[in-house]
Amino acid sequence: MNMKMKLFKGLLMAFAGVFSVLSSAQTPGVTDKEIVIGLFAPLSGPLVSYGIDPLNAAKMIYEDVNSKGGINGRKIRLVIEDDKCTGNDLLGVAKKLITVDNVFILHGGSCTAAIAAAQEYIQREKVPFVMLNAAGDNAVFPPTRYMFGSFQGTQRVYGSALSEFAIKSLKAKRIAIIVHDDDYGKANLAAAKAVITRLGGEVVAEEKIPPNISDITAPVLNLRASKPDAILSGAYPAPAVLLAQKYGEFGMTNIPLLQSTQGMPTPSVYAKNVGNPDALKNLYHTWSFTDIAKEDVRERMLAMYKKSNPDREPGPFMVTGVPSALAVIDTLQRLGRDLTREKFVDAMEKLNLNSDLMTGPLQFSATRRDALRTVEVVKFDGKTQKVMPDYYTWNGKDGN
Amino acid sequence: MGLFNLILQGIISGVVTGCVYALVALSLVIVYKSTDVVNFAGGELVMIGAYIGLLLLMWLDWPYVFIFLITPVFTYALGLVFSRFALEKINRKKTSSNTVLVSFVIATIALSDMLKGIVRVIPFTEEVRRLPPLFSGPPIFLGDLVIQPQDIVIVVVASIVMLMLWLLFGYTLVGKALRATSQNERAASLIGIPVKSVKSAIWGLSATVAGIAGLLLAPKLLMTPDMGNMVMLAFAAAIIGGFSSLPGCVVGGILLGIVQNMVGIFISPQAIAVTPFFVIMLVLLIRPQGFFDKTLAYKKV
Repeated sequence: MNMKMKLFKGLLMAFAGVFSVLSSAQTPGVTDKEIVIGLFAPLSGPLVSYGIDPLNAAKMIYEDVNSKGGINGRKIRLVIEDDKCTGNDLLGVAKKLITVDNVFILHGGSCTAAIAAAQEYIQREKVPFVMLNAAGDNAVFPPTRYMFGSFQGTQRVYGSALSEFAIKSLKAKRIAIIVHDDDYGKANLAAAKAVITRLGGEVVAEEKIPPNISDITAPVLNLRASKPDAILSGAYPAPAVLLAQKYGEFGMTNIPLLQSTQGMPTPSVYAKNVGNPDALKNLYHTWSFTDIAKEDVRERMLAMYKKSNPDREPGPFMVTGVPSALAVIDTLQRLGRDLTREKFVDAMEKLNLNSDLMTGPLQFSATRRDALRTVEVVKFDGKTQKVMPDYYTWNGKDGN
Repeated sequence: MGLFNLILQGIISGVVTGCVYALVALSLVIVYKSTDVVNFAGGELVMIGAYIGLLLLMWLDWPYVFIFLITPVFTYALGLVFSRFALEKINRKKTSSNTVLVSFVIATIALSDMLKGIVRVIPFTEEVRRLPPLFSGPPIFLGDLVIQPQDIVIVVVASIVMLMLWLLFGYTLVGKALRATSQNERAASLIGIPVKSVKSAIWGLSATVAGIAGLLLAPKLLMTPDMGNMVMLAFAAAIIGGFSSLPGCVVGGILLGIVQNMVGIFISPQAIAVTPFFVIMLVLLIRPQGFFDKTLAYKKV
């Protein structure tokens, strides 16, 4: 009897083992020794600066894990592609990675609009898609099962944080807002207005500008005419510089200018472009990484990057490629060796990663696909950056 | 800030940007008048001028006066080379005068893409850049109105360039040769004007004006390889002037700069981007020949 029982158990275990191997073998991009990840970003074209360094940064995180033995006995193998930040190219890259390279998951994209173009295909193919450094709201609101992103916070987070900071810390009552007339701007504006109203402030001007605006005189004159206590800006890098220039030229520098992250990815370049130190004396911006206050974190990232890319100086967006790679690794580690795409999605939904690089936890849930909701506010005078004492967390409701 | 001051400030700022639009429009019209070619690379020549200025400033740290002297030399050479090595070769292989014009226009589109591509592969052009202010100094306050010293410099430099063009075309032998070539190529050739060289010089001159416009724009509007898209504003300014009148370009450019600001103040900043297209459509519908066209009209008597 005992012998039969042992035989039965042995057969059961052997069956389970074979089943496990078979099911693992059936999962695309997963073998006994490796996990294949499709990594992509704009590596050519006009938006190349958004992609090269973040992609290199994600690659360096995966290389670091591989050098330490991989994840649960498997090494990460990357298939790298160029999506050019256009919808057509990104969709083509996604199709190629899924059908030709048989990757396990997709990890990439630096432009939300391009990602949104591939969203329907991704949902149909049921392939997990982890956004590299794209952070636009319309890729993660409303949440869809296979899409995870916004590891630096959405526009809702920035608009909310700057409004709260203006009212609570700067004691501003009359607030003027300038944003772009696109999905980014709408999300930023909606969250900002909701927070301002909730905290008893007043929105005295709403200027919506096209992203390709070349002369910002008229909207700045309108802002000036509204006599605000603070100006909130959701402008992109070029219009953000134009705004600061005009703000300085029109002698508005006694009014605090609060800029969302996307407008000044590299503060030093921003300051150089603005050119007028007077325009920077009352300037604040949101930031999602702790590398300003924590020198050790900054040095660690730079050293890792130089080790992985000895011939390239990291550009402004380098650090933005790190958190999504950390989230992928954390999820794979929690999953163990039994990998399927559906299990990856389920595990990603349980992400609760505290990294010393980020200003808040990276979290997802069954109804949430935006990872970061807490940011800091930094005062920048053109030379030094000073992190303000409090963190600001979007409550998940304002502006929805 | 009262409404009157708001409008006045908008007008002042509009005149400044309008002067630069006028320069770019002039560079387009000079070529069109002389060769019948619409230069779609006009914006990219502006962009190249700005980047040459940036490179000279970064590498050699020269004062602006030298930058304004050297940059036009480079852009002149660029226009000359394009004319000699692209347009003349196309012209030699022409099958009819209509098809050759199409080929010329396509060549300018190719030049436009080529210049953008060249600038993009230069590593530091990945980021948005800006030339330092042309003139640093405290703003001049007239009550609520603000005038930047840099804006005064822009208007002065643009006016000097316009004045020089007027003198060149109206009062010099070279200018007369340029005009003669544009009016009747064969007759110009018969009286001994070297038509090919003159045409190349016209392209060089056009590129020179565009390059100077780039230097004036870059401290105000930022530099990216795509900054040449502003050529639409120059087209609108040129169309107001009838695409053949040099003074018309100047008035058109300044008018457009002011209209843009008024649209931004009274309608919406979102409407600023469509203003040039609206102006183009409006002028083409109301007065297709522009408001300053002086082409000869033949009347039956």
